[in-house]
Amino acid sequence: MKSPDYNFAMPDLLNIKTKPSMFCPGCGESIILKHLGIVLKDNHLQNKTTFIIDIGCALLSWNYFNLDTLQSHHGRSVPVAVGYKTIRENRNVIAFMGDGGAYAIGLQSLLHAAFRNNPITVIIVNNTDYAMTGGQMAPTTLSNEITTTSVSGKDPKEVGPAFHGPELVRQIADKNAFIARASISNPALLDTMLKKAFKTQSENNFSMVEVLSICPTNWKTNAAESFDFLAKMEKVYPVGEIIQNEKPSK
Amino acid sequence: MKNQVNKILIAGEGGQGIQTIAKILTLALEKTGLYISYIPQFGPEQRGTPSVAFIQYSEKPINYPRFNQADFLIILRKRAIPIVSKYISRSTEVIFDSSTIPRTSIQQTTNKTWGIPATKLTEEHFDSKSLNLIVLSAFANQFLQYSHNALWEVVLSVLGSKFANNSQLKLKSKEAFDSVEHFNFENKKYSRPEYDVTSGIILKKNQTRRAVVIPKFCKGCSICIEKCPVRAISFGKNLGVYGTPVPDVDINKCIACGNCFKFCPDNAIKVEKLSN
Repeated sequence: MKSPDYNFAMPDLLNIKTKPSMFCPGCGESIILKHLGIVLKDNHLQNKTTFIIDIGCALLSWNYFNLDTLQSHHGRSVPVAVGYKTIRENRNVIAFMGDGGAYAIGLQSLLHAAFRNNPITVIIVNNTDYAMTGGQMAPTTLSNEITTTSVSGKDPKEVGPAFHGPELVRQIADKNAFIARASISNPALLDTMLKKAFKTQSENNFSMVEVLSICPTNWKTNAAESFDFLAKMEKVYPVGEIIQNEKPSK
Repeated sequence: MKNQVNKILIAGEGGQGIQTIAKILTLALEKTGLYISYIPQFGPEQRGTPSVAFIQYSEKPINYPRFNQADFLIILRKRAIPIVSKYISRSTEVIFDSSTIPRTSIQQTTNKTWGIPATKLTEEHFDSKSLNLIVLSAFANQFLQYSHNALWEVVLSVLGSKFANNSQLKLKSKEAFDSVEHFNFENKKYSRPEYDVTSGIILKKNQTRRAVVIPKFCKGCSICIEKCPVRAISFGKNLGVYGTPVPDVDINKCIACGNCFKFCPDNAIKVEKLSN
């Protein structure tokens, strides 16, 4: 008897042996990884890519792909990627991290990589909280958003408003760098941006894509409410390529 | 029995309430004046990986919270079995959810295997959130001879804040908790594991389209249902990897837009047009 075709809905690059993955039900991060797999496959980058992952929910993507994968310390996937790229110039290097790793503990590494115009691709998943440890407040948490450490809503006077990472990086990045913000509410646009980011890297420029994602476990939402909140995030964090010297909106 | 250390191991999946009932049981046993230890074990994930609780109680002080062989082993999800099977000895009393776990998947040579169709009971009569309380109530009454009402007091002290916001939940939980007070555990003749993960793939087909749903990957997040523009997807009767219903595609309503595939986080669904 022929065994059922479990591969049918699985993009080719994904490691079927580790599925179902360790991500929570409805996790936006696995939607992003799925599209990353599709884009890498479509652009024939499978044998050229090194995937470097951060601590946080990003580490659950260990063994997610049939790709060369490295695990770095928290917030350090960018410097590890830069170091790797320095030696292996022909590789397509991806640093995959969450908003906590990129904008809190690892911000200096990210800024300097952008400042030096290191030819790597940084993919940042923004879900407005520290998801793995239980949904604590992050720099990217929206004003008045309730998290486990801001139980009456984040007070922007006390801890600052929502953190606009790509806009900040844009201010010091090279003019040829590709800095953009995508959202999982529009997977087609996400595919286009990832494709452009890899193209930018192949032209020896820095590229960074922040992807707005959903976190149903920590937001305590169902599918419909998650996408409603994502729409709210998109109002604060405008989706699209960030053009040089544009001031971040408050 | 009282002079030795009694060891209880509770295993299930993160999100099932394993650590909640372990906490309740620990506090309840503490009230009887015994020495007690409790330590949880789980991975870095928030949902869906094995969650294990080690509980010991004794009249003598307990030196170390972990142990190698359990006296009582409670298994609430099939996927936790590989993690806990090494704790089974010939004298271990194994209590398992017979509506999701086939008896054959547990290695136990003796007849000390007790089934309780907890998932079936909760799905058919109560809220699925009360699954852990049903098992706790039946177990404590049957194997520890713990007073039913005293145990409910401890449940209230632990879950009181949750019940305070939702009086309906409290009522339903109490109802479920009471329903199994004198539950007769199944031995030798077990319920059918009808709430087990559906095997294989579900294929729906007509002349122009075909839809595939893979239950063993589906976590029941319902994003495909939310994102379907023609409302062709709804929850069906088959069950996915976490015991949640998997989507059922109405292939005649479907327009094969591919949204469900684009948004599915777990690669469990795909629709495609057939070329003639």
